[in-house]
Amino acid sequence: MTIERNLFIPSRRQLLKTMSSGFGYLAFSGLAAKAAATERRQQEDSGQISKNPLAPKAPHFPAKAKRVIFLCMRGGPSHMDTFDYKPQLMADSGKRGKYRGSLLGSPWKFKQCGEGGLQISELFPHLASQADELCLLRGMHTDQPIHPRAMTQLHTGNPQFVRPSLGAWTLYGLGTGNDSLPGFISLNTPSGSGQNIGSAFLPAIYQGTTIGRSGRGGNRFGGSRNSQVVPDIKNANLSKRQQRKQLDFIQELNREKLERDQHQPGVEGIIESYELAFRMQDSMPELMDLGDETKDTLDLYGIGDDATNNFGRQCLLARRFAEAGVRFIEVSNGGWDHHSNLQTALPNSCQQIDKPIAGLLADLKRRGMLEETLVVWSGEFGRTPDNQSGNGRDHNNKGFTSWMAGGGVKGGFSYGATDEYGYEAVEGKCHIHDWHATILHLLGLDHERLTYRYAGRDFRLTDVHGNILREIIA
Amino acid sequence: MIAQELTAQMSESEGVEFFESNIRPVLVRECYGCHSNQTGQAKGGLKLDTKQSMLLGGDSGPSLVPGDLEESTLWSAINYEDYAMPPNKALPSNVIEDFRIWIESGAPDPRTGDSKLAIRGTVTDEDIKRGKKEFWAFQHPRKSEPPRSARSDWASKPVDQFVLAKLEENHLLPAEDADPHTLLRRLCFDLTGLPPNPEQVSWFLEKWESDPDNAVSHVVDRLLESPRFGERWGRHWLDLARFAESSGKELNSTFPHAWRYRDYVIDSVNEDKPYDHFIREQIAGDLLPTKRDREWTEHLVATGFLAIGPKTLTEQNPRQFRADLIDEQIDVATRVILGISVACARCHDHKFDPIPQSDYYAMAGIFGNTDTYYGTLDIRQNRRSSDLLLMPVSQNLSFNKSLETDDLEKLTDELARVSQEYRELGRLRREARQSKEPSANFQKTQRAFAQAGNRMAGLKAVVDSYEPDGTPKSFCMGVQSNDKPADANLLVRGEVDQPAQKVPRGFVQVIGGKKPKIRSNSSGRLELARWMTDESNPLTARVMVNRIWQHLMGSGLVETTENFGSTGLPPTHPALLDYLAVQFMENDWSIKSMIREIANSRAYRMSSQFNAVAYESDPDNKLLWRASPRRLEAEAIRDAMLDISGKLVLQRPEGSDVARGGSSVVRNGQLANTADLLGQLKSSISMGEQGKASRRRPGMANRRTRNRFSNRDKGPSTDPRAFYRSVYLPVVRDSSPRSLSVFDFAEATMVVGRRETSNTPDQGLYFLNNPMVMELSREFAKQLMEFSDDSMEQVQRAFLIAYGRPATTSELQAAEIFLDDLNVKGSNRQKKMETLTYLCQSIMAAAEFRIVN
Repeated sequence: MTIERNLFIPSRRQLLKTMSSGFGYLAFSGLAAKAAATERRQQEDSGQISKNPLAPKAPHFPAKAKRVIFLCMRGGPSHMDTFDYKPQLMADSGKRGKYRGSLLGSPWKFKQCGEGGLQISELFPHLASQADELCLLRGMHTDQPIHPRAMTQLHTGNPQFVRPSLGAWTLYGLGTGNDSLPGFISLNTPSGSGQNIGSAFLPAIYQGTTIGRSGRGGNRFGGSRNSQVVPDIKNANLSKRQQRKQLDFIQELNREKLERDQHQPGVEGIIESYELAFRMQDSMPELMDLGDETKDTLDLYGIGDDATNNFGRQCLLARRFAEAGVRFIEVSNGGWDHHSNLQTALPNSCQQIDKPIAGLLADLKRRGMLEETLVVWSGEFGRTPDNQSGNGRDHNNKGFTSWMAGGGVKGGFSYGATDEYGYEAVEGKCHIHDWHATILHLLGLDHERLTYRYAGRDFRLTDVHGNILREIIA
Repeated sequence: MIAQELTAQMSESEGVEFFESNIRPVLVRECYGCHSNQTGQAKGGLKLDTKQSMLLGGDSGPSLVPGDLEESTLWSAINYEDYAMPPNKALPSNVIEDFRIWIESGAPDPRTGDSKLAIRGTVTDEDIKRGKKEFWAFQHPRKSEPPRSARSDWASKPVDQFVLAKLEENHLLPAEDADPHTLLRRLCFDLTGLPPNPEQVSWFLEKWESDPDNAVSHVVDRLLESPRFGERWGRHWLDLARFAESSGKELNSTFPHAWRYRDYVIDSVNEDKPYDHFIREQIAGDLLPTKRDREWTEHLVATGFLAIGPKTLTEQNPRQFRADLIDEQIDVATRVILGISVACARCHDHKFDPIPQSDYYAMAGIFGNTDTYYGTLDIRQNRRSSDLLLMPVSQNLSFNKSLETDDLEKLTDELARVSQEYRELGRLRREARQSKEPSANFQKTQRAFAQAGNRMAGLKAVVDSYEPDGTPKSFCMGVQSNDKPADANLLVRGEVDQPAQKVPRGFVQVIGGKKPKIRSNSSGRLELARWMTDESNPLTARVMVNRIWQHLMGSGLVETTENFGSTGLPPTHPALLDYLAVQFMENDWSIKSMIREIANSRAYRMSSQFNAVAYESDPDNKLLWRASPRRLEAEAIRDAMLDISGKLVLQRPEGSDVARGGSSVVRNGQLANTADLLGQLKSSISMGEQGKASRRRPGMANRRTRNRFSNRDKGPSTDPRAFYRSVYLPVVRDSSPRSLSVFDFAEATMVVGRRETSNTPDQGLYFLNNPMVMELSREFAKQLMEFSDDSMEQVQRAFLIAYGRPATTSELQAAEIFLDDLNVKGSNRQKKMETLTYLCQSIMAAAEFRIVN
């Protein structure tokens, strides 16, 4: 018996009825956190209780990871200069490459880090100190060498059609631990990438909520008061009670419309998002306000230093959201598309994220959260060992490196490999589908059973693919 | 002087001799060691031992541009400007002088080095032939007889017969007609982006009662005549044309003249310019024959289509910049007009469609013969600014008044002074660098040099925008063909430093149609435009009717509206698509006629009523068993709020806020032109009345513009400019106004054929708490207070205005409870007003306001 059948298909109409009787399933204040998730699922499965689409659900099987922090590097970071040590490439630098052009050995030194002895580039001095938490996946590959499509595949598995994103699937599979915050938050999302955090055919409530649009000029997290990052978060005129009355009226109108239209996912989504918005007015400013963090913590993330301030804030916010029970948090950093400015721009990119990420890992660890938080780092693809335009590298979808930390993966561990130069994955290959299957597995979700019926067939994140990288599980 | 004479007089053989005796020995002695094939060294990607590799240059662009010292890196390098070459010791000044003569005389160079590379693709002629023959989209559309059905009483237009046939094939029935309230609202939003007013509603109800067909057709005609139509449908085109008023990317310099293209599009749509002509103007307006200056001007503005794309102005390498510019033009033109992506053949043969890499370079040749004029502020970080086109017919703008000649003179003098200072600082900087002693002085000089450059750029932008008598010039963005048309080299993996064989200019082979011959002295762009819009082209008409269908029916017959290739989706109703495409061409490519055809159909008129059985078999409504409910676009939501609160200003604003701000750069959502520049300018011209007028010249941003710019919705505003239709809001890349971005405004760096429709708590927060929403709610309430003293009549009126229908009994009850319970403070009158304001806000916030059924 699959979950989604019980959750949605036969009961969609019932669900709406439940809702129209006083928002029973939406108001669920406190209920969510208190309920024993396993019990709930059993009850749901046997149809005993009404279904709140965001209530915590038990995973398919016990697992360490309870949530995900996805550090998304936009542009395609070079693996040969960061986490994929290629001595042969360095030795043969300048020689003719495989597809014309000459080989470009990494101009940066690598060194063995931590007890596990992972080879990490000197561009990550801080992250190197967390090497024993990292599980490098050096055999990554994906289907597309074009940014938008590869980015979409990284998020949804499918570069061609509109499909739910990894975050939406996760939220659908596990619900969320805080009913006053979105269960899937994306910080610093570039505009135009809605599909990458979208819910597609899954109910709208599972789509990602963006906080702080990314803009080239804007340093959207750089300000002293993060609460301003969420616009219109405060009501200047009404008391809470008055506002609740107003919202009740709005929802009454919405509910009537829904009854008239019978089936209208758009209206359902609006009803759900209003309730969440209402609660976010209190929860969000509190969470976004870093005033209660110690100087020590701020320093740990590099907050206050020009180079690391922006990304550091995002990482710290990610930890705060994780703490508050948000299920899936995506943090993103752009500018990794180094076609012609590798020597100058790559060190800058690395510097922006190095201390913040190291800080995040250290902070999660000291709070005892790393065990149950899966931290994932990846770009949409890697780059070529060949030199492009003298000081850069081109897109490479055939081989690259991503890494995971915490959440039940082996630390100080490396899995998979590219060929001697870094052109393509040859060992322990991990396609995006495999990567997705593994992430879901670490969360206790079976990627083959996490399905949703749409247009007459069951869809899943991994389509008909996906092999779990069992070797990396601690 | 002597040198110039020498330059002019040098014949070909003298030139070669000059090279052999004065240049080559220096290159061999001083440069080959690090930059040649012979030594195998190519530091900085640069080789200097063939003519071609010298022209190509290295990482920082071409080392040599014959005849142009400024652009030749070789020249600045031997002068120790950007580089210091040779590194150990600068060349003697007489040798440097030789190089100047040589470069200025066109850099004659007998060393051969044409590329011997010939890249053969994997797409064969056979593949292309097969694609042409077998793939649906590459075959010419044919108009077939609309299928007949037993339920002939339902179908009223050929469109309906096609739709009905598909439904019957799948054992489904079309939904009933929508009720007249719903239908009128749908029509008004679809055609003009605004809701119907109560008078229109009652008129329509009456007409509908007696003759529904006639009622609909009358409304459709009236809406198509309204100037609001062009503002709505013009915006659809602007989405595709990635319209924006700034360059985007790192520097994000404004395009103060881009609004002319915006207005051109809106006007063209309103006058129902035949679509084929509309396309020809945008692709090759500068080359179209014309006798009248006014028409010529319009044609030039139209070519702004090719100029308004995002640009990396910080790009060092001009060759790379140009290749990227051409790429963007090819990408936009092919996807928007042909519904096919050719740009992925830049680096290799198309992976999925039979489009070889050579097809891309055939088109790159065409666009390579084109110079693009987009302006931008010529500050130091901007390495790729360009000129603008001077319009044959100038246009008076109230915000761009004439300048007294005295003031212009002062500005010109100031510019001369600053330019002199800039040159002087440049010399000092060079000396400081050559001295090799890193000093604090150098840093200081460097800074002063940069500042002088910025000031000079601002002043130059101002001075250049006036005739000598102080009359402002009118500029537009656009393109021009250059004088010496040539073919382009295919680039191996799309890399500018890896040219292979030349590819004759031409079009995409697999797309058939009548292909005009490109003469050797012609750029090929006009021919391209003709091929694209010839009736024999299988794609152009299909792609456009499919879009019209999408905007009226919610989804295209081909759902991937900009991808008709093999990775796109096939049409759900192929015969209908073809029928419409042919009809479109037969009706002289009239967009309005096509809209009339569809909007008058029964299929368009269907209700959106849910049907469980049909849903089970076709959840996406691909077969059209009902009308698809749709979330309105950001502009329609904002305009509707302005409209129902009586604040909408229908008049078109002059220019745009970006035009008023002038040439500038955008930082953090603000026109952040250097404040010191403004200060400098202020003090450099005489104050007083004239001074005031000149403060809004290009190059300067005044404080008011700066604040209003992206924060339109931040607070109550008394400025009528905040209440123009949304299509006239400034569109600055990476910084769209909140009221638009919150509802998925089109990303202005991309071709957007279909907007996203997200559903987020952020939208909830916007309606609950945004100050502009609050302000408009209050205005809405004021109107209701004027309409009646009775609160229930006010509520009825509010529903009618906002939703185009009367309130239901239960809605009235809910409203009554809300009004009684909200309990705000104040006098009776105040209380009533306040409470009504929150009721109005709620009505705008509710789902129905943003959804069209």
